[in-house]
Amino acid sequence: MGILGGWFASDDEKRKEEVRSGARAPDRTERKQCWEARDGFYRCLDKHDVTDSLNGEGKKTADKHCAAENQAFEQNCATAWVTYFKKYRVADLQKKQMLARLEKEGANKVQGDMPIGMAKR
Amino acid sequence: MSRPLVPSNPLLRSLLQQARPRQQPQPQPQPQPQQQQCRRRLLSSTTRAQAPTTATATLLFSPATRSPRQTPKTSGAEQRRYKSKTVEEQRSRYRTGPFSWKAGLLFVAAGCGLAWYFEHEKQRMQRRRVAEATKGVGRPKVGGEFELVDQDGKVFSSADLRGRYSLVYFGFTHCPDICPEELDKMARMFDLVEAEKPGAVTPVFITCDPARDDPKILKTYLAEFHPAFIGLTGTYEQVRDVCKAYRVYFSTPKDVKPGQDYLVDHSIYFYLMDPEGDFVEALGRQHSPDQAAKVILDHVKDWKK
Repeated sequence: MGILGGWFASDDEKRKEEVRSGARAPDRTERKQCWEARDGFYRCLDKHDVTDSLNGEGKKTADKHCAAENQAFEQNCATAWVTYFKKYRVADLQKKQMLARLEKEGANKVQGDMPIGMAKR
Repeated sequence: MSRPLVPSNPLLRSLLQQARPRQQPQPQPQPQPQQQQCRRRLLSSTTRAQAPTTATATLLFSPATRSPRQTPKTSGAEQRRYKSKTVEEQRSRYRTGPFSWKAGLLFVAAGCGLAWYFEHEKQRMQRRRVAEATKGVGRPKVGGEFELVDQDGKVFSSADLRGRYSLVYFGFTHCPDICPEELDKMARMFDLVEAEKPGAVTPVFITCDPARDDPKILKTYLAEFHPAFIGLTGTYEQVRDVCKAYRVYFSTPKDVKPGQDYLVDHSIYFYLMDPEGDFVEALGRQHSPDQAAKVILDHVKDWKK
């Protein structure tokens, strides 16, 4: 049993490692796990008022206070996804700030989403 | 010679005889109003005369008229008896004019019907304009011929999409968040369309990442979203060409080392293509599955061939 359990565990670990390295695309449950870990990390960043967790002051604060969340994030997501989501957070918040600023300046809101939908995905 | 043209004397006579009885009754109603007028004049003179003099004066005239107290009322009604039968009917007609609730209802119903019809036709023409914007010569062309491999490893070309509408989406299996969301959405809109028009639309997923997405990976990936989805992949050149044909921004690196992780930039639209393989409309993030399904169904219903 112990051997079998160990074999299963290593198989699961191998799969996770493949997902992390990008050798295998995550399935639905793995995506969900990753998104949950990401949201946990985001919540921690929100709590400490960090937008950019990759550079400068933000990185220092994130490393200090959100190390556990970051570890879970990296554990459950592909490395490329982790970087993507960290960058996306910055871009997304900048976009929201920009929209809020434009709205305050009285810009007209165009119906619908962006005219040309592009996303790094 | 011209005998048949000249009417015979007995025929003319009979015609005249027929015409005469019809003319005769006409003068009859005319004297009546005159009589009534006379009667009214008499009555008015009597009422005037009645006040200062004795009741005998009224008695003298009363046999000629009917009951003296009722006559002013009835004579008024008698004058208009060709239009209405009772005073109440007459009054109500006077109050509402030529409009009744029936006429009003008919007017409103006709108005609503016409408004609906014009709106319906306007939307249809709008859709037709959108659908035909890419047809004919000198129009921007989206889509085109391609030859790829499906999730079972079989050759799949653009010819396999002819005869039905197709909903084409570009993505890749390592896509972090938008593709899975959009594919779930695509599954929902496909089910909605399928419920109303079975077999009208073919759902197609084309990978932008041929280096990592082989048929087997596509098969397991797409099975999580919808069993009917067709997943297409191919060589780097084939995929680059199909992306170019569909005007999809394509940034996949050409030479990827094994195990190297990367993400791909790509457009995130659903391309609705008609049964002839011409581009109809792009459905984006702003459309909910229900809205998108409605757009697709409207186009499907417009198609007559």
